[in-house]
Amino acid sequence: MAPGAPADVAPASGEQPGRRRRGRALGGSPGEALAAYSFLAPNLVLLGLFVLLPLVWALWLSTQQTDGFGAATAVGLDNYARLFSDGQFWRSVVNTTLFTALVTPVAMGLGLGAAVLLNGALPGRGVIRSALILPMAVSGVATALIGVLVFDENSGVLDGIIRALGLPSVPWQSGGAAAFASVVLVTLWWRLGFNMLIYLAALQGVGPHLYEAATLDGASAWQRFRYVTVPMVGPATFFLLVMNVIYSFQVFDIVFVMTGGGPQDATSVLVTYAYENGFVTRDQGYAAAIGVVLLVLTLAFTAVQWRTNRTRDLTE
Amino acid sequence: MSATTARETAPRSTPGAAPRRPAGAVRRRRERRVAVARTAAAVVVALVVLAPLYWMVVVSLSTRAELLGGQLRLWPRSLTLENFERVLSSFPVLTWFGNSVAIALVTSLLTVVVNLLAGYAFAQLRFRGSSALFLVALATLMLPVQVIMVALFRLVTQLGIYGSYWAVILPTAASAFGIFLARQFILGIPRDLVEAARIDGAGHLRVFLQVVLPLCRPLLAVLFFMSLLQTWNDFAWPLIALRQNELFTLPIGLLYLQGQFGADYGGTMAFALLSVLPMVVLFLVFQRYFVQGFARSGIR
Amino acid sequence: MDLSRRQLLGAAGALALPAALAGCGGFSTSGGSSGGASGGGDALTFTTWGTDAELAGLRSAVSRFEESSGATVSLNVVPYEQMFSNIDAQIQAGNPPDVFRVPYYTFGSYAGAGQLLDLSSYLGSDVADRFTDQAWAAVQNEGSPFGVPHHTDTSAILFNRPMLEAAGITDVPTRLEDAWSWDDLAQVATTLRAALPDDQYPFAYNWQGNGVTRWLSWLFQADGRFLTEDLSGPAIDSDAGRAAVEFTQSFFSQGWVPPNDTISSSTYAQDTWYSQTVPLVWSGAFSIPDAEATLDFEWGATFAPQRVRGGSDFGGNALVATAGTANPELAAALLASVTEEESMREFCTGASLLPTRTDLVEQGIEFDVRPELAPVFLGQASTVRPQDSAQVASPDMAAIITVLQDQLEDAFVGGQDAATTVRSLSDGISDAVR
Repeated sequence: MAPGAPADVAPASGEQPGRRRRGRALGGSPGEALAAYSFLAPNLVLLGLFVLLPLVWALWLSTQQTDGFGAATAVGLDNYARLFSDGQFWRSVVNTTLFTALVTPVAMGLGLGAAVLLNGALPGRGVIRSALILPMAVSGVATALIGVLVFDENSGVLDGIIRALGLPSVPWQSGGAAAFASVVLVTLWWRLGFNMLIYLAALQGVGPHLYEAATLDGASAWQRFRYVTVPMVGPATFFLLVMNVIYSFQVFDIVFVMTGGGPQDATSVLVTYAYENGFVTRDQGYAAAIGVVLLVLTLAFTAVQWRTNRTRDLTE
Repeated sequence: MSATTARETAPRSTPGAAPRRPAGAVRRRRERRVAVARTAAAVVVALVVLAPLYWMVVVSLSTRAELLGGQLRLWPRSLTLENFERVLSSFPVLTWFGNSVAIALVTSLLTVVVNLLAGYAFAQLRFRGSSALFLVALATLMLPVQVIMVALFRLVTQLGIYGSYWAVILPTAASAFGIFLARQFILGIPRDLVEAARIDGAGHLRVFLQVVLPLCRPLLAVLFFMSLLQTWNDFAWPLIALRQNELFTLPIGLLYLQGQFGADYGGTMAFALLSVLPMVVLFLVFQRYFVQGFARSGIR
Repeated sequence: MDLSRRQLLGAAGALALPAALAGCGGFSTSGGSSGGASGGGDALTFTTWGTDAELAGLRSAVSRFEESSGATVSLNVVPYEQMFSNIDAQIQAGNPPDVFRVPYYTFGSYAGAGQLLDLSSYLGSDVADRFTDQAWAAVQNEGSPFGVPHHTDTSAILFNRPMLEAAGITDVPTRLEDAWSWDDLAQVATTLRAALPDDQYPFAYNWQGNGVTRWLSWLFQADGRFLTEDLSGPAIDSDAGRAAVEFTQSFFSQGWVPPNDTISSSTYAQDTWYSQTVPLVWSGAFSIPDAEATLDFEWGATFAPQRVRGGSDFGGNALVATAGTANPELAAALLASVTEEESMREFCTGASLLPTRTDLVEQGIEFDVRPELAPVFLGQASTVRPQDSAQVASPDMAAIITVLQDQLEDAFVGGQDAATTVRSLSDGISDAVR
């Protein structure tokens, strides 16, 4: 009866496309639409009031020049024009993209690896799994503070270990690339558990008979991974891809507390830059424009993903 | 790798090609080697992940003099609770704890109810604008709160809820993460089941309550827990919305304390530890259920 | 197919929980309006951050005011990190506190935007006269006072005596006129560099984050300015500007400061001194009690260096009333009251901070902890000139701070040369004040 139980995984995903196509063709009855909107109402009210309304306000704000204290002058698209010649803005765009491009695949790869490792029988499996998901329970602020403790160049434990091994210490705080790496590492530490958990859950839906069949057909371990595991966790991959990208685009706590965007903007990302403009220099119209750019980037990504995923649903 | 596996499976497909027993022994030895390697890899990964948390505990249990000694000690010589005593005696930790519990519980409850309803509509009902609305809901996930903070603040003031828990609860409950998960889960419920109930004359609410809801228990657990975790650790918005010290939640308390203690890593880590402990314990106690919940929510 | 009893109970429980929790204070929305400026009557709201010692001093000053005036003041303490996003949001929502605490370098952005109460007509001339010239200059905007200077603080050098002695440095200046020159400092740093192992450094400077305003001390010591007399344009493109950038840049190229002693670093200079990575650190007097409680090596304080003249940062905080306060007289009376001699002395001695009242500066004050260090900091503060502190009160200081942070970071970490840095600083400041 339980949905997604091993036995009905394959039929369920095979059945879906047909149903959706049917759904679109029929469109549903007026009564059903009424019911649907009633069910959606609480959520739509909350989203509309607390997200979309403020968003429209922010869009308007992005066409204003304001010190943040009410008095505003309309400047049209000047704020957006300013972005083009703003070095730190472009640096933040590049950093945000690079951060996302690094964290998303690596976190997902490590998560899948760890999940495969923990999916079979293993001594102390429960303990190891607990260890890997523990960082999930730690707040962003606490994670970043731990990061400072570990990556401090003078008294941090990591450089201490590196020096004790006789290796040259890494400038985690004063070197741009190293500082960026430290933010990525802390993020991976924090995100690994979530990625592993989702993949582990997905793997439990893969019936052992599939592996047995593949083994009987003479598939190697790599082939079993590539042609059984990877396709079977496809839905989880899509889910994680979206979640990781959203998270990466919005990274704030860790950068804010660990590096403050430095050294020399090496770790400045769009959200910290928007925050800096909105709440430090109080150039709120400009900050809103940066936020809008961020939103457009993520929307474009979602649209692409949505389309690809739908195509995949229909064709596979 | 591929060749050896093929050879291993050879006995089954071509009977008599090789004696059975030795092949089995080779396989068992190989399997044991693989098992040892897997265990070793898993243990190493676990240790790497645990190391920073271990260090956090060590720092919270060390005296300040030891921390400033400059000498690296992975294993502390003496442990002390003085950091915890100092933190507990100088800050209203219990009040903040109570605030965190109240806000997290109510937000999570609200999130679960609201998102389950929406998830049902998106997954099982056909209506014009379904895809567009879902996309919009999903898109709101992409909106960093920093972008809309100023407007949100004005709104909360206009609604007259500024300075109360509701100023945090309502905007936080407007999260689309749950819709996404709920829709995916409910898509997995065979539509025939729903249609059968409809043909029996059940209304949509009744179908939802009596057919869909009972099947959603794993989803409820995951949604509730994810929301609890997120709300418990949230800080950007609560920081603005909760003006008074006595309404602070634990992460804001942590930031506040860090400002007070400055370079006092021991005290800061002691409080950080206290603030994450409830979620860590919940994780450890309910993790099996949690993994199952995710597994059965059939993310697709 | 009726609902089962369990489902009903579950639903009832779900509904009852918020209701039960509503009993807690946090769920009632009445608290929302109690804090606003709309309070009127004889109630004031006062938003601040502070260390325990500062808050103790403030509370006692506030209760003294409550006794004498019969008014009630609700003191709201928030984390410094978010103090001003909080204040900004409240101002925008038309719901600001009546009175709040603000650093001098942040003061200008509120005063310049018309958000603060012009105190000219509310404060008697006796109030204006009680402050030192440089302190009074720091709360002026367009020729009018918009706050009272509550206290100041400035950076002198804290030294680790055993580390200095190990390197053969046995005497440090004990009188202001004997303060090290830049050349003396370079000498000391060179000696220390030669004596210290690779992972230790001669000194660390406290210019992290908003502390970047402390870099200006070097500019002032070279007798430079960053803003013109009327605060309307940049004045940093000068020999003094180039000398200050060049000298401070050499701290990194010579290995005199730890490589992570940068502007954007999350490690504060103080921490490296605490952990004995450096024997010298620039620090305010506020850290004396903590250092005394924590450190087990012998340490003292000496004066910051001088070049053309002495120069130092005018740190510390003002107290201001908001323009929209319903009770301007009472708010101004509170500001006057907490800067009375007794209140200010108690606050400064307890929290190890420096007074802004002329009488207290002249008499000198005694810190509760390490009282013998008070003269060093008072002497250091006397090197601040009114024209220095007036520049920091510029309404555009928030944007100027960002320019300083970016350009100095480029000079220190990115190796941007002094002439280019000063030109970029000048351009950036010119944009900021436009």
